[in-house]
Amino acid sequence: MISVKKVNNKPLNLLERIYLWEIARGLLVTTGHFFTNLFNPAGILTVPYPEKTIPLPGNAKFRTRHRLKLRSDGSPKCVACFLCQTACPAYCIHIEAAEYTENSVEKYPAVFDIDLSRCVVCGMCVEACPEDAIAMDTEELPGGALGRGELLLNKESLLRNLPGEPSLLGASNRLAGEYLKSRGER
Amino acid sequence: MPTITIDGKSLEVAKGTTLLEAAQQLGVYIPRYCYHPKLSIAGNCRMCLVEVEKAPKLMTACSTEAFEGMVVHTASDRVKAARRDVLEYLLINHPLDCPICDQAGECGLQDYYMDYSLAKSRFSQADKVRRQKRRAVGPQLVLDNERCILCTRCVRFCSEVTKTSELCVVERGDHSFIDLKEGKALDNDYTLNIADICPVGAFTSRDFRFKQRVWFLKKTPTVCLGCATGCLIEAHHNENTIYRLVPRPNAETNTWLCDPGRLTYKAVQAGDRLVKGVIKNGLIDLEPALREAAARIDEARAAVAVLGSPWLSVEDNAALALLAKDALKTGNYCFDFNTEQGIKDGILINKDPAPNTNGVKLVKAAHGGLSLEELSRRITSGQVKVVLAEARAAGFIKDALKAAAPRLIAFASNRGEIPAGSYATLPYASYFEVPGTFLNYQGLRRRTAPSVEAPEGVKPLWAVINKLAAYSGTSLRLDSADEALKGVRS
Repeated sequence: MISVKKVNNKPLNLLERIYLWEIARGLLVTTGHFFTNLFNPAGILTVPYPEKTIPLPGNAKFRTRHRLKLRSDGSPKCVACFLCQTACPAYCIHIEAAEYTENSVEKYPAVFDIDLSRCVVCGMCVEACPEDAIAMDTEELPGGALGRGELLLNKESLLRNLPGEPSLLGASNRLAGEYLKSRGER
Repeated sequence: MPTITIDGKSLEVAKGTTLLEAAQQLGVYIPRYCYHPKLSIAGNCRMCLVEVEKAPKLMTACSTEAFEGMVVHTASDRVKAARRDVLEYLLINHPLDCPICDQAGECGLQDYYMDYSLAKSRFSQADKVRRQKRRAVGPQLVLDNERCILCTRCVRFCSEVTKTSELCVVERGDHSFIDLKEGKALDNDYTLNIADICPVGAFTSRDFRFKQRVWFLKKTPTVCLGCATGCLIEAHHNENTIYRLVPRPNAETNTWLCDPGRLTYKAVQAGDRLVKGVIKNGLIDLEPALREAAARIDEARAAVAVLGSPWLSVEDNAALALLAKDALKTGNYCFDFNTEQGIKDGILINKDPAPNTNGVKLVKAAHGGLSLEELSRRITSGQVKVVLAEARAAGFIKDALKAAAPRLIAFASNRGEIPAGSYATLPYASYFEVPGTFLNYQGLRRRTAPSVEAPEGVKPLWAVINKLAAYSGTSLRLDSADEALKGVRS
């Protein structure tokens, strides 16, 4: 069933047809915002994205930027099985596999690139992963870059998890710490 | 000639036919692991169990011969339950390696589990019996005993096909595993076939290991040009890169494929692949190289000698013949190669390392030409100033080239092939990149199909010859490879 909504477009009255009054009314709104922002910058409604972002609501389950999880020894959990690349509808994941000579895991990703400019943030890669190695829980919304290069995540930046964090282990540990804290184990 | 009934359909089969073969003739597929049409019957995997009326137990279809009046059911409830149980049994101790296993995607266990089982495992992952993981056995293979289901296809392959018997099953009962015999190494010329026939990921190829997942691969049927046998193969490639070659079993030539043949694709992607011309030892762009070579040809004209090559397709040889006969109008051309042919090792590898010795004979029949000795004599006597030859074929007139030192203009696809002392070398597209016709040692017509694209600027050889003709002031006006075939009996 298509629902039908009747719209009653009233004909313009004389004051509106003259336009001048309506223009003045519009300018009044703009000027009002201008002076509010000038004297009360804290009350500005817009955010200069991406320099500033609004923190996401704490309980919201958003799909955000990807990260690769680590094992306790610091190696990536990913075994380069290519299932995320297979599942990806946007063809934004590029993996090259390599072999550990000693490790019993045998296989690891030598290259793991995600092109965020192609990513449609569907979360299929997370669903497909048999090793629970990829997650989209960094709470960082992709986008807002000055060049395409900035949107290309390589293995290092996926393992680093958050921008500006010094060590590879830092962010994973922080996320793991937060998780444990939320369960009351730390 | 017994008549049997399989799933309600009657069929008359030859005496000695097994139930599995009879079902195949009817188009009924019976799952199997240990059965392989070219190996002896082992009957150990129990996957092909079928119900035969009046028989007390289920029978293995691969090892039961058809008898008059047999009534066989391949999809009854008892058979389905048996398949599910056999799969559960095989999977109890099979490791959960699929994410790191190269066989995933073409694995017998995965496929049959989806088709015949879909049962939840009743065993805990922690209880799985651990065995020796990956270990390199021989130059081409990796063996993972944990993944093995002991179908013994590999053991039978080594003892029946290559007759080298490197592998055996050691220990007994549920302790048994596949191992190399003492003092042996898995280094015969056919080891990669074991990776193909292994229904699980126990044997995997070291060359292909972790390079690509099999479900990404596109398949192009083509021909192996490793020797005169001309095996039918399939090139598996993705995004303009060939990853492996596998045999296309056929009655005439091959079921298997030799290891050297499987690795012939490497030259196409090798680092020394020629994408530019070479003058003396310096690389220069293709156009100036072509013009330089053409200028040398134009100087000599009737003193040019052209040598065909058993490594080139019939089309490219015919284009060379046209260049000599019609464009340059020289009598110094030779399409006379008589390498001894025949299977060298009793399996596949031919005595003749060139793929198209028989194809060149067609060109010789159409265009004539000198014998190889006569051409060598003319070069040695100094009446030839410029020689045009494919790089590997130039080896046939090596001594004459050394004695008289004419300018050699060679055609090569890789730098490593360039003969010593060549004046100019021009690149051409490999037969993995352009189609070409070849005649194998049995005289069977084999046509290659392009599976990847040639590097930018690299043209098929007939097009290179066409350009050489145009630049040297003559003309061939070839628009396609088939035009060169005019007058050649195909």
